[in-house]
Amino acid sequence: MRTSRSTALLAGAVALAATVSGCSGASSTSAGSAKGGTTYQVSADTPAAKGSISSFSWSLYAEPYSLDYTQAWDYPPNTVLANVCEQLFRITPDMKIAPGLAVKSANPDPLTWVYTLRSGVKFHSGSTMTADDVVASLKRHLDPAVGSAWGSAFKNVASVTKTGPLEVTIKLNKPDVLLDELMAASPGTIESAAFLARTGRDYGNPKAGVDCTGPYTLGTWAQGDSITLKKNPTYWDSTLTPKAESVKFVFIQDPAARTNAWLSGSVDGGYLVPATSIGQLKSTSRGKLYFGPNTAASDLAVFNLKGTLGDLKVRKALSMALDRQSIIKAAVAGVAVPAKAPAARGAWQTAPDRTERYFSDLPDLVYDIDDAKKLIKEAGATGKKVVIASSTLTPEITVVANAVQAAGKQIGLDVQIKPIAPDAYTALFTDPHASAGIDLVFTNGYINSPDPLEFYQSFRTGDFGNYGKYSNPEFDALYDRATAVADPAARADLTAELQKIALRDLPAIPLYEAPHSVFLGSRITGAPAGIAQLYYPWAAKIGSAN
Amino acid sequence: MTRYLLGRLLGLVTVLLITSFLVFSAVHLAPGDPVSFLLKGHPVSPETKAAIRAQYHLDDPFFTQYLKWVGDVLHGDFGRSVQFRHDVGSLIGSRLPSTALLVGYSAVLVCLCGVLAGILAALRPGAIDRVVLLCTGVATATPPFVSAIVLVSLFSVQLGWFPGPGDGGTGFADRLYHLTLPAFALAVTLAGLLARVTRSSMLDQLGREHVEVARSRGVAEGDVVRRHVLRNALGPIVTVGGTMLAGLLVSTSIVETAFNVSGVGSLLVQSVTVKDFPVVQAITLITVAAFVLVNLVVDLLAPLIDPRLTLTRRGAS
Repeated sequence: MRTSRSTALLAGAVALAATVSGCSGASSTSAGSAKGGTTYQVSADTPAAKGSISSFSWSLYAEPYSLDYTQAWDYPPNTVLANVCEQLFRITPDMKIAPGLAVKSANPDPLTWVYTLRSGVKFHSGSTMTADDVVASLKRHLDPAVGSAWGSAFKNVASVTKTGPLEVTIKLNKPDVLLDELMAASPGTIESAAFLARTGRDYGNPKAGVDCTGPYTLGTWAQGDSITLKKNPTYWDSTLTPKAESVKFVFIQDPAARTNAWLSGSVDGGYLVPATSIGQLKSTSRGKLYFGPNTAASDLAVFNLKGTLGDLKVRKALSMALDRQSIIKAAVAGVAVPAKAPAARGAWQTAPDRTERYFSDLPDLVYDIDDAKKLIKEAGATGKKVVIASSTLTPEITVVANAVQAAGKQIGLDVQIKPIAPDAYTALFTDPHASAGIDLVFTNGYINSPDPLEFYQSFRTGDFGNYGKYSNPEFDALYDRATAVADPAARADLTAELQKIALRDLPAIPLYEAPHSVFLGSRITGAPAGIAQLYYPWAAKIGSAN
Repeated sequence: MTRYLLGRLLGLVTVLLITSFLVFSAVHLAPGDPVSFLLKGHPVSPETKAAIRAQYHLDDPFFTQYLKWVGDVLHGDFGRSVQFRHDVGSLIGSRLPSTALLVGYSAVLVCLCGVLAGILAALRPGAIDRVVLLCTGVATATPPFVSAIVLVSLFSVQLGWFPGPGDGGTGFADRLYHLTLPAFALAVTLAGLLARVTRSSMLDQLGREHVEVARSRGVAEGDVVRRHVLRNALGPIVTVGGTMLAGLLVSTSIVETAFNVSGVGSLLVQSVTVKDFPVVQAITLITVAAFVLVNLVVDLLAPLIDPRLTLTRRGAS
């Protein structure tokens, strides 16, 4: 989603993005290795907790703006909310969609989705969840006054109605499989209807808070400092009974300060390990660093298809001139694999058995300076200007910008780096004024569902995440066909075709796929390691390591 | 006295009114659209956009918006933050303790270091005076963001004596410890300035006749310095010091950002970037109000320090 892509990029800031390298099954442990570089293990889980614990603390790289699920589209709010508010479905650590507050969904015809709700689920305030709560929660995304960040996910929704005490039906104007899959992400979050009505526009802010069904309840929110969660003693899912009585989230923006907090033991753990600290965190005896499955991919988004990069030959040449192995070494300490397509292999969880074939069908992104030079000459682009944004927001951005400049120099392109203030970097993706004059931007985008179709959505004509205004009718038509196909395998086949088109036209230049990451201090263990943590009550699994 | 006070308060209100208008206009004239940030670039229907614009009264005529804002501010309502969806008053309230502590800490450093260095330089001409002059020269020429970089790399990264960015949070002592480097970064320039003002004010008094007379009458040197020099030199020091205190408030935005202190200053920077206009307006207005108030307090203190100045005379002039 475009949403998630810009998000990602933000996050990329702080994060290593990720993928399950090679092997498709995220549940199995797999290893990724850069040629002559670092070897690392990817596994969905960390060793199970041995016992309960009174509390632990966790770092976030920023304070959530709000805990309103309609605004939850980024790592900080979702990392907290995953433990407090639940969706109709949940994404498990091995990246499968599993029942959550709904026990099942049915799709009697392409335009109808029927959700059967779990009975006896209680909100934190004590009331029991009914179909009315679900209808009220979902309908908020349709209310213009709410301004849901997920409004576009609901663009094909005709109605949301209660069709039984524990049954809700969504009618669509147009087939849309992604909407059903996003019921395992923020769009499918369920909140008490009474609480929504009572708190109104204060819902989700530090004053009003939230009233959900998750394994933890929202305790205190000390603005600018921390958010504390308390164990929910009446949680419905006994397999996820929290092992810790309370969890304290502290906001530490600076990557070095975050690392220091882990190393000194003042904070027990955190997701999104800064790339610059990987070496230090790998060798410490104060805790352990884990890598998990990721749907995120690091790409160069082409922001301007009217300038020098409007010529496909120039985009191809630039892609050819990038030494991805070296970039991975410098940007993420070797913990990544070169990309073969804009969306990461880890984003292909709806058809894991087919992913390997789809990717082996794709041509490798070769590194060939001579051929790249030839292409630039053919295109008559020698000496032409390309502007790439750079920012100190995360070290990866700077490394990649410099690498692109060096590559450009080798093949005769005049690549200029435009420095952007860290706070302004995100505005590149939302504000056309901010991105004026920029041709290329490093992005690190994840998707919220395990379906790669969500990623390729952003290359459709007019989609928000389509920063360079790429437009290909063949691509659009194929996308529409794919989103109407309910069978995951058949849909994946169509998505693989979208992937081929994207690789042919290069609206984004693929760079690398890095795994998700988590650091656990020696006191605790049990956290899922992958990006599923955004929609899975990960904190409930954390307990004592001894 | 009462008349003088009333006049000053009237002036204060006028300044705030003019400022409020300037602040409001400036924020509205700046390019960029808060709605696009609010939506984080997510595609929305025109109805959604319209509904959000209505919530923040963005489509009302400029003057209507301004009057509504001033009216709300007078009722203590600074509006609602676009990014945090929370009322601005409590948002700023939650960030204020960090900033107040930082400014207070820094003010103590400025006064202590500045006045002491100035006195030392004035009383010890020669090598010590030259060293102080050199140091204060460098200090006054060093902007806070440069001090911040130097202090962090030296005391946090190289020596490891102080924590890096962040404002701690566990207990007063720990917070103070975390705020030490930011407070020094904030204090360097102003301490240098205050030292120079103190020095010249002291030198001015040292050359005066009454000092000579006191000395010739055999008054102990310590008493001469305390009662005849320092006391008379205090006027300009307090005046400049007061203005500096207000200046500290302004510089916090730079230092808080550099040290990742979650105070009002970093909130301002964060809010400007995303065009969170209700927050920007509120912080700017509060800063100006603090500035004007500090000046008033300094003016009221002046006659207490130097009884030759009377309020009525100054008020009439």
